[in-house]
Amino acid sequence: MSTHINQPAPSHRGRGPWMALGMLALAASAIAHHSAAMFDDLQSVTLAGTVKQFQWSNPHCWIQVLVADTSGPVEWSVEMGSPSQLYRGGWRPSFLHAGDPIVVVIRPMRDGSKGGLFVSATHGDGTPFGGASK
Amino acid sequence: MRSQPLALLLLCCAASATLAASPAGATRSAQFARLPDWSGLWISAAWKLGISGRPAGNEKELRANMQLLKPPPYNPAWNSRYEAGLQDTAMMAQKNATLKVCTRSFPALMEAAWQFEVATLPEETLLVFENGQVRHIYTDGRPHPSGDDIWPTPLGDSIGHWEGDTLVIDTIARDASEPLTPRAWVSLFSDDARFTERLRRADANTLEDQLTIDDPVSLVHPWTVVLRFTRVTEMNRMIAANCVENDRNPIVDGRMLLTTP
Repeated sequence: MSTHINQPAPSHRGRGPWMALGMLALAASAIAHHSAAMFDDLQSVTLAGTVKQFQWSNPHCWIQVLVADTSGPVEWSVEMGSPSQLYRGGWRPSFLHAGDPIVVVIRPMRDGSKGGLFVSATHGDGTPFGGASK
Repeated sequence: MRSQPLALLLLCCAASATLAASPAGATRSAQFARLPDWSGLWISAAWKLGISGRPAGNEKELRANMQLLKPPPYNPAWNSRYEAGLQDTAMMAQKNATLKVCTRSFPALMEAAWQFEVATLPEETLLVFENGQVRHIYTDGRPHPSGDDIWPTPLGDSIGHWEGDTLVIDTIARDASEPLTPRAWVSLFSDDARFTERLRRADANTLEDQLTIDDPVSLVHPWTVVLRFTRVTEMNRMIAANCVENDRNPIVDGRMLLTTP
């Protein structure tokens, strides 16, 4: 597995998660490696925090995001496509490092667990990654 | 001792040159020269995946693009079963919720989201998919096996021949228990189903596969769909995919979860 494993960032500049309703499409069952039915595609959650780890791996790449909360940093798991799919979309393994500020929009897990499906991401200052944030 | 590798190299070069110049070598070169060039990476045009690994145009667009999700022209008896299956929303929801796909049967493989390469050899054409699956289409004139030499498999048994630059593929012995494709859970065919494909390059960046399913047991007439594949331009090599390297989506008590590393 070609993962980028980094130490947790010493500071967390995130603003905490906030919810934003999204009006999107039908019940999810798109098939890549697995069904997307676990993700609520009528909801959007924006995570503003720092990267803990970027896993460039099959069958899915993952961004582990630390989001500041009143009780301390909370770790979220953001599921993405496969390395091949990310590469075709312009992403590279070097795009994210531990401690990088990041804002990620996800479709959250229906069961309320701290994770979701990647929708888009920008650097902390709002610029997209490699011109391919979608 | 130092002269041995050089001598071996010269011997190999001489043998190679002899083969190329021999009648057999010339014949084989001519066989290759007649085959179309379908080199490169290809992927089903039905899938326009975003960074999420999900359809960029959402589920609705994907369903509209996927030819194998269309309703087959079943005869009344099979259509009754098909319609009843569609009404079983609990079954459909459970299958969708717990679906994990690492391989696909034929013809679903031809409309999967995996890239593939096409290797055209005189004896066979190989479709090599990034998930590791390979379709072998034998073009050396052999018939399908018979008797105990053939049994149902997910990809079936494929033979083919060339009509100009079109590869005509005949596939039988596909495992009839497999649905036509994921999500078309109730699109089934009988053991007698026969699949004929006409695979050709429609233009420099498009492969086209005209697929006709003929199954007198289940269909009122042969059913033809056209699958298209676009050339992948964003990368120039196959990167193998797999489902086991970092699988963080276990299924527990009928629900798919997401684990933290």
